[in-house]
Amino acid sequence: MSASGSLMTGGRVLSAYLSDMRLELTKMARTPAFAIPTILFPALFYLLFGIAMGGGRGDAQFAIQALARWSMFGTMAPGLFGFGVSLAFERENGQMILRQALPMPAGSYLIARMINAMAFVAISTLLMLAIAVFIGHLPVSVGQALRLLLVNVTGVLPFCAIGLFVGSVISGQAAPAIINIIYLPMAFLSGVLFPIPVKFLQLIQPLWPSYHLGQLTLGAVGGTWMGELSHHIAALVGITVLFFILAMRKLGNRGISLLGRSGPTGTAMPLRRAVGLVMLAASIGLVLLGIMGGNAPHTANVAATSKGDSVDGSAAPPVAEASTAPLGVAAPVSPVIAEFDGGSAAAAYGIGFTATDDKMRGGNSSVSQRLVDGGADHTRAALEVTGDVGTAIQYPFVGTSFLPNGKPQADFLNQGYMDYSSRHTLRFDARGDGKNYMVVIMGPRVDAMPGMYGFVAGPEWHEVRVPLQDMGGVDLHRVKVISIGSMSPGEFRFQIDGVRIE
Amino acid sequence: MSQTPLARLNAAHKRYGQVTALDGLSLEVNRGEMLALLGPNGAGKSTAISLLLGLQTPDRGSAELFGEAPHSIEARRRMGVMMQEVNLSPVLKPREMIGQVASYYPTPYGAAEVVKRLSLEKIAERPYGKLSGGQKRQVQFAMAIAGRPELLFLDEPTVGLDVNAREALWQVLRDLIHEGVSIVLTTHYLEEAEALADRVAVVTHGRLVAGGSVDEIRAYVTRKNILCRTSLTREDITAWPEVQELREDAGMQHITTRDAEAVLRRLLAADANVKDIEVKRAGLAEAFAEITAANSAAADASGNGMETAK
Repeated sequence: MSASGSLMTGGRVLSAYLSDMRLELTKMARTPAFAIPTILFPALFYLLFGIAMGGGRGDAQFAIQALARWSMFGTMAPGLFGFGVSLAFERENGQMILRQALPMPAGSYLIARMINAMAFVAISTLLMLAIAVFIGHLPVSVGQALRLLLVNVTGVLPFCAIGLFVGSVISGQAAPAIINIIYLPMAFLSGVLFPIPVKFLQLIQPLWPSYHLGQLTLGAVGGTWMGELSHHIAALVGITVLFFILAMRKLGNRGISLLGRSGPTGTAMPLRRAVGLVMLAASIGLVLLGIMGGNAPHTANVAATSKGDSVDGSAAPPVAEASTAPLGVAAPVSPVIAEFDGGSAAAAYGIGFTATDDKMRGGNSSVSQRLVDGGADHTRAALEVTGDVGTAIQYPFVGTSFLPNGKPQADFLNQGYMDYSSRHTLRFDARGDGKNYMVVIMGPRVDAMPGMYGFVAGPEWHEVRVPLQDMGGVDLHRVKVISIGSMSPGEFRFQIDGVRIE
Repeated sequence: MSQTPLARLNAAHKRYGQVTALDGLSLEVNRGEMLALLGPNGAGKSTAISLLLGLQTPDRGSAELFGEAPHSIEARRRMGVMMQEVNLSPVLKPREMIGQVASYYPTPYGAAEVVKRLSLEKIAERPYGKLSGGQKRQVQFAMAIAGRPELLFLDEPTVGLDVNAREALWQVLRDLIHEGVSIVLTTHYLEEAEALADRVAVVTHGRLVAGGSVDEIRAYVTRKNILCRTSLTREDITAWPEVQELREDAGMQHITTRDAEAVLRRLLAADANVKDIEVKRAGLAEAFAEITAANSAAADASGNGMETAK
């Protein structure tokens, strides 16, 4: 028992970290009241809402997107409860103080808890993937599965940080109830699990980390997401850092330091404080960036090209691979598609523009269009489209459509294609009620992700330029339909004029 | 081996708002000794331990562990601790918990070694939540020694233990001292301090009011107890001016006095048939009561309004 015995080798330190991790996992595995609801409930919800209800329509893409959505739900609980409730209890029952007194290596508690939460998320996501593949018989690719797993396992961190903060503030008795009050509303108000028909709630969706993670999980399976992925990542990183710092401060005030202890009078103190403040400011900046970005118009999002992807979950039968479909006919030399000045909504060629709703896909949206006086650039007239987007289906979309090589007698599946591969920009003038609208360009595969581009129709005419080459999955050799319309539930009104492709 | 104290408080002050918990307390713990920290609830014992463990820092004065700041992890890797009122995870097994704590130390005992030494084989694989209060304390003690510490902090280690378990734990403590381990012990059981401690420090109102060996502390007290069987009445005895207290227990009179010789002379003179006379020096309990009472009176009289810590 000599003084030299206090030298701790690297191997010993590592074994201390591992021992903490192992016991945290053991604890959770032996606490079925935590483990079962945390893992099973999200999986059951997915089975019910994703497989049973989506699968009944023979709708693979709906079910794969539902997998992404509910896997986000499964990621929230291990972070929020695993950190929040446990920490609140351990603070109260003296365990936290004992840990402080023991020579536990720096950050070991946090790391053990984090690994624990990640392990639970991995199990939760894998269980849902298994349900998707073996019960839903869904064509989930290995890439989709790995991306989803990665997004969720790292996506638990913001919820860990929030749990850590809540657990540092509230009592153990109150913790389960309060975490539930945060958990469930945050999950459902995100709009990721079910669409929210209330405009105000839609507007504040980017406040919820669940919303941002949901867009990332949708991105991981090649589904339809909102906003920019980089903004969602910024928001989640910001939330993680922000709540982590707040929790460390709160715990510090209570005499608890989970990052290894130091004296309050050390010379490094002002530096530490400064670094803390900078990180705090940076994290708030990231959160704001993410929230603003999350509220931006829906911009193009790229489709994964695995078989079975489609934005709208339409029940159409699969068609031939794009590469084997016949090439579209060459586009007319003139860039003009429609000016709306000739007393009709007809384009220079093809069919359209015609008002299209989503009733064929089971939706309940309505739409109508008419010519109105006073087009952009003082032309005579413009096309006005009004309607009301319903919430009966997952992805409602209504607006006005143009089939460049449309054949009046053919049904939608058998319409022809136009080859726009030599063009780079679709542009038109737009004005309207200030809401978000979407340009949708579809190719031969109705079960593939269309190209999408979001814009805002403000009160004044302005030009919308859609960069065709950046729209991902769109096969410009075979364009079947170009639609302009709305996906956001509620009434809308917009006008377009001077549609060109060049 | 150097003679610097393993743990030291030097004129440590600590306030919680308006409450003074420590008022210039100085303590030293030397190698191979057991120091018993005595004092009424709220006297500042827990605060003193907290400062030595680095859980808190003194407002003024200093705390040292192995000559370093107590929050240094190197210093804490040389000590073990058993706290009061800690609820550990109910689903873990003692063997796992002992192993976990041991993993934090450079040269710990193996969990099996600790289990064997403390005869915990029967409960080592039972979930902690299913153990009795006394068994839980034994497990916490096992965790305290698992790291093969040079210095042990034990806060009320034998609360809730039955007589056999307490005796067994005392024996382990004696063995540890014999092996050169130092121990800081707080206890409500004065006989525990009396049986084990080399030195006693009595703390009230955040100050050291008496310190020294058990014998030295007892010497603070001049009172003695005289036990006897006598036909004299209660009134006869209490009429003697030297008698402070009198109580009867199973036919034996227990007379407390500051002047045993005078009382004995009166007793022998008044009752020729007095039997079973025994004169005892006061125990630590009486000493403790007297010291703390005297200090409370002094504190109250001086009107400084010092309050005790939570």
